[in-house]
Amino acid sequence: MKKITYIEAITQALDEEMDRDEKVFLIGEDIGIYGGVFKATKGLLDKYGAERVIDSPISEVYIAGGSVGAAMVGLRPVAEIQFADFITPSMDQIIQQMAKLRYRTGGQWTCPMTMRVCCGADIAGGLYHSQINEQWFFSQPGLIVVMPATPYDAKGLLKSAIRGDDPVIYFEHKRLYRWIKDEIPEDDFTVPIGKAAMRKEGSDVTLVSYGLMYHRSMEAAVGLEKEGISAEVIDMRTILPWDREMIFESVKKTSKVVLVQESSKTGGVMAEISASITEEVFDYLDAPVARVCGLDVPAVPFAPPMEHYFLPNAEKIAKAVKNIIEY
Amino acid sequence: MPAAKKKTVKPKANQVGLSEETMMGLYTNLLKTRLLDERFRKLYRQGRFAGTYFSAVGQEATTVGPTYGLRDEDLIAPSHREIGANVTKGVPLDKIAGQIYARVSSPDKGKSHPCHYGWKPKGVITPSSTLAGQTIIGTGCAMGFQIQKKDNVVLAFFGEGSTSRGGWHEALNYAGIYNLPIVYICQNNLWAESVPATLQAGITDFSDRAKAYGFPGITINGNDVFTVHKTAVKAIDRARKGKGPTLIECKTYRWYGHSEIDPADYRSNKELEEWKSKDPVQFAEKTLMSLNLLTKIKREALVEQINQEIDEAISAVDKDEYAEPEEIYNDVYSEQFPVRRVEW
Repeated sequence: MKKITYIEAITQALDEEMDRDEKVFLIGEDIGIYGGVFKATKGLLDKYGAERVIDSPISEVYIAGGSVGAAMVGLRPVAEIQFADFITPSMDQIIQQMAKLRYRTGGQWTCPMTMRVCCGADIAGGLYHSQINEQWFFSQPGLIVVMPATPYDAKGLLKSAIRGDDPVIYFEHKRLYRWIKDEIPEDDFTVPIGKAAMRKEGSDVTLVSYGLMYHRSMEAAVGLEKEGISAEVIDMRTILPWDREMIFESVKKTSKVVLVQESSKTGGVMAEISASITEEVFDYLDAPVARVCGLDVPAVPFAPPMEHYFLPNAEKIAKAVKNIIEY
Repeated sequence: MPAAKKKTVKPKANQVGLSEETMMGLYTNLLKTRLLDERFRKLYRQGRFAGTYFSAVGQEATTVGPTYGLRDEDLIAPSHREIGANVTKGVPLDKIAGQIYARVSSPDKGKSHPCHYGWKPKGVITPSSTLAGQTIIGTGCAMGFQIQKKDNVVLAFFGEGSTSRGGWHEALNYAGIYNLPIVYICQNNLWAESVPATLQAGITDFSDRAKAYGFPGITINGNDVFTVHKTAVKAIDRARKGKGPTLIECKTYRWYGHSEIDPADYRSNKELEEWKSKDPVQFAEKTLMSLNLLTKIKREALVEQINQEIDEAISAVDKDEYAEPEEIYNDVYSEQFPVRRVEW
């Protein structure tokens, strides 16, 4: 067991998968010679060559669409979108080709590809280097959407994404890249897609989140524990298809739920989860479903006070918990 | 002549520069495409299938010519008007008709759209409706062939209108950098639905665009199937040898509307009549007859034989059922992720 960072976990997963399967190749901007703007692909060009670590031109449409094509003829592309903020040109390819290829061809053609998307705020990135927009992909059946919160999951989920036969949008949160370290087994392992992680058991309230917000939720839960409130903390890990069973079972147990999301509130992932909770386990609720989300403004502003004001944090989460505890 | 040479029966070359076998093969596919297309138009007007129909009549040579002679492993990255590429690539007519009728036997089981023909065993990608869509993923297929060191090629088909899209540019730009094994066939039929080519770009010959990508671009008469074939063969050979892409612009014309619901009243009768006089099927017939490779009797026999094939394919799908509505849940994901079902 060795302690590694979230970004080291990503590099290891890429390296090990490329070593295991020659059909795996990487394509993206600045990923080869430069090793990626965050160094996620450092050393891989030297090890695997320019045919498998492709420095693409500034072409998000082609990075997405070209990867679909390569997947169609038997390869397992891992495309990198340098910042989630720049994914919009590829939306046509992601929505119309990646997500629909299997469906629209009656299963004749499939799209086993992974798109790594570097995302998230709390890094002073400003409007155009802080977005996630996972809700756009969450509402598109045919896609798998994951967002690991820990180095262990970063490695295991990336391996599952690469080995699976479906197109995966893999959101990696840049605030987490070098912030936390995990002990990772030396041996090969994967983390199953579609399964959430129960990070902390509790009895009074359920906190549901993913990515950076899992850490904020856990921080809130630790604080609440000292005040005598026992919070259960679920890290979704996979956003689509999400783990209904674990979330519903937890709500049945605690009767109260706070949903935490970094992106803007309206139309977000947690809106759907909230609606599903009221549809499926309404009788178990003892208080309204609460949401702590990013604000409904166009994107995360740059100036630190505004950035922090935008984002949910442990304090805001704890406040929402106390509100429904008192309900 | 040495004895050894006598044993080799070479196909007879002629003024066109193609063997009799190739010329007749091209013509047969051209004729089959025309007859099938006209039949589908008729069936649509009879209300025999839903949606609409996108006829390719008038521009068949642009798809038949390049496709003829390809291997099964070579891919066609089509748009919605590539019935000729399907016919020539050898997609069975009942698969093509199945797609039109959206029946359970259709390669897509009725999910996509009538003119989204595609069949993997013969290497035809089922198209999406997004223009230049298959040009982009087709370029990705060519990238995949190159990475895997396979000598397969991709033919990407699109209209002149699609070349205005950003994704089209990104694909060709990429193909130029890596010398991908792909041939881009622009079917310039002068109209992108209702918008004339003059309002699509500030150039007259769309092959000029190739200059910006560092590979050859050539403009040819898209209604001469023999010229189209010969030009494409050179480009395909070049692509297969790893020398990179070619953009071939075929000047052509679609006789009918964008689809059957389009009266095409944005263009003049004079223009239409002018292009009808350059009918690619008649052009091929005249050429073959002048070379004594085709007679009226032979043509009639061919028409009869093709019509019989079409009759059989249509009657097969006519009897076929639609897929059960629950088919809706299939092929969303791999079996690992079954879709949640709704009880209506």
